[in-house]
Amino acid sequence: MKGESMAHTLTVFMENKPGKLERITGILADAGVNLRGITVASGGEFGVVRVLVTDHERAMQVLRSANLTVSVQESIVAVVEDEPGGFHRLLGILTKNNINIEDCYGFVLENSKKAAIVIDVTDRARAEEILRGNGIEFWKE
Amino acid sequence: MESSCWQHEIETMEPHALRAMQLERLNAVLARAAKSPYYGKLFSQNGLGRIGSLDEFSRYPFTGKQDLRDNFPYGFLTGSLDETVRLHSSSGTTGIPTVVFYTPEDLDVWTECVTRSMYMTGARKCDVFQNMMGYGLFTGGIGFHYGAERLGMLTIPSGPGNSKRQIWFMKTFRTSVMHILPSYALHLMTYFPEEGIDPRRDLALKIAFIGAEPHSEGVRTKIEEFYGIKAYNSYGLSEMCGPGVAFECPAQEGLHVWEDHFYPEIINPETGEVLPDGEDGELVLTTLTKTAMPLIRYRTRDLTRILPGICSCGRTHRRIQRITGRSDDMLIINGVNIFPVQIEKVLMTIPEIGNNYLIEIVKENFMDRIIVKVEIKPEAFGGRLEQLSALQHRIADALHTDLVVSPVVKLVEPGSLPVAEGKAKRVNDLRNA
Repeated sequence: MKGESMAHTLTVFMENKPGKLERITGILADAGVNLRGITVASGGEFGVVRVLVTDHERAMQVLRSANLTVSVQESIVAVVEDEPGGFHRLLGILTKNNINIEDCYGFVLENSKKAAIVIDVTDRARAEEILRGNGIEFWKE
Repeated sequence: MESSCWQHEIETMEPHALRAMQLERLNAVLARAAKSPYYGKLFSQNGLGRIGSLDEFSRYPFTGKQDLRDNFPYGFLTGSLDETVRLHSSSGTTGIPTVVFYTPEDLDVWTECVTRSMYMTGARKCDVFQNMMGYGLFTGGIGFHYGAERLGMLTIPSGPGNSKRQIWFMKTFRTSVMHILPSYALHLMTYFPEEGIDPRRDLALKIAFIGAEPHSEGVRTKIEEFYGIKAYNSYGLSEMCGPGVAFECPAQEGLHVWEDHFYPEIINPETGEVLPDGEDGELVLTTLTKTAMPLIRYRTRDLTRILPGICSCGRTHRRIQRITGRSDDMLIINGVNIFPVQIEKVLMTIPEIGNNYLIEIVKENFMDRIIVKVEIKPEAFGGRLEQLSALQHRIADALHTDLVVSPVVKLVEPGSLPVAEGKAKRVNDLRNA
């Protein structure tokens, strides 16, 4: 099952100006693409927005045709229990295997039941294998 | 009158005598120029020889900056290197620069022109002169330095920058005459309050020479009022010698071109036709006395006009109006000459950026600032913010290495820059906006 990835994050370059993010969400909304997660990172006058979407191929296509600069990466989206210590247990597995997290954010899937943690690591395939081996499930598009 | 001229007889020469001298010197310099590989070939191919009147001079072809580059380094040299003692190079150019050579006689004439210019404004040997221009390949600093020493002023070669120290020198040594970029004179103003110094009350300044970049009458007035001085416009270019080609007198109504050493013409930049005095056009200059590297009908690309009539100061050498612009796209950034194509060349070496870019020039705290906006190629985007920041720094470093000045680089979204319609508008000069 390795490599048959479950989720994709699109990264879009944008200028740090009013209306830039809204333009991107508008394009995705018009294309019927649902956003599962979103983060924004600012580098001063420009930044990047990262979106986890329901249909990355469609999203990629509509963003590119709108002349936006987009890149796509496979993402690990680990499912944890939505309860105290849920995320902590996941991190324990990563720490024990000496895996460093570059970027990370989470969102709730089902209130008080399941949450998703999007993890960005350097060696994605290895991290995925280790998590799978520890019984962690993944969220899919 | 005598006391205000360094060389009274020359400066107030009767116009007809001046014209006769120019004709004689033109023929001499044409003969001298013919000894250089470039002019030797050009003149013989076109059967060009002596001229019988100044009107006949328009038969001679123009010389352009590109000719200097195409014949780099020695194509314009009339003698052997044994006779030359100095070279200077135009500031800020990339690739092949414009290089000029001097014999000891050339340096002597240059110094004489600068001395004459400074003396004209009232600078005397009892003055203390602070030279805040760049020294080195740039002619601005060294040219004034030698002129000031010949005049007999105590000369402080402080060079540009280090604003607090400049003010310290001014105060400690009672500087009375200064040479400064107009933009720097404005910038320096912001340092006085924190030093607790009122230039009008605490300093001995009386004269400033401002030049090397075009500036408005408004900027001059601002400088004069803040420092409590008279500011005189200085004009020159390394191809002629450097500063000292034309200079303002106390009347401050145009700049006297030193016509015993430089022959000015105003042409229509489109057609090359010589225009009568009073009409706006491009300034074309011929060196009348240069020996190492005479230039014939050199197109300065500076736009101005010759002011008709005799100046109230009594000098007969014709005056040009302050420079109003350029007939090419050269940019003058805090005194450094930059062509947009130099920026383009650097950008094109960076694979991550697309073909569309825009150069903006703004005034920030009275100093010129270049902003280069570039679009990144979608396929070069790896999705990391750090990659973008690194790219931004890499472009800025590459531009700084090549241009000497430090532009601000801004990454913009593809399609956000104006798309070229026909001739692309790559430069947006907002300094006077």
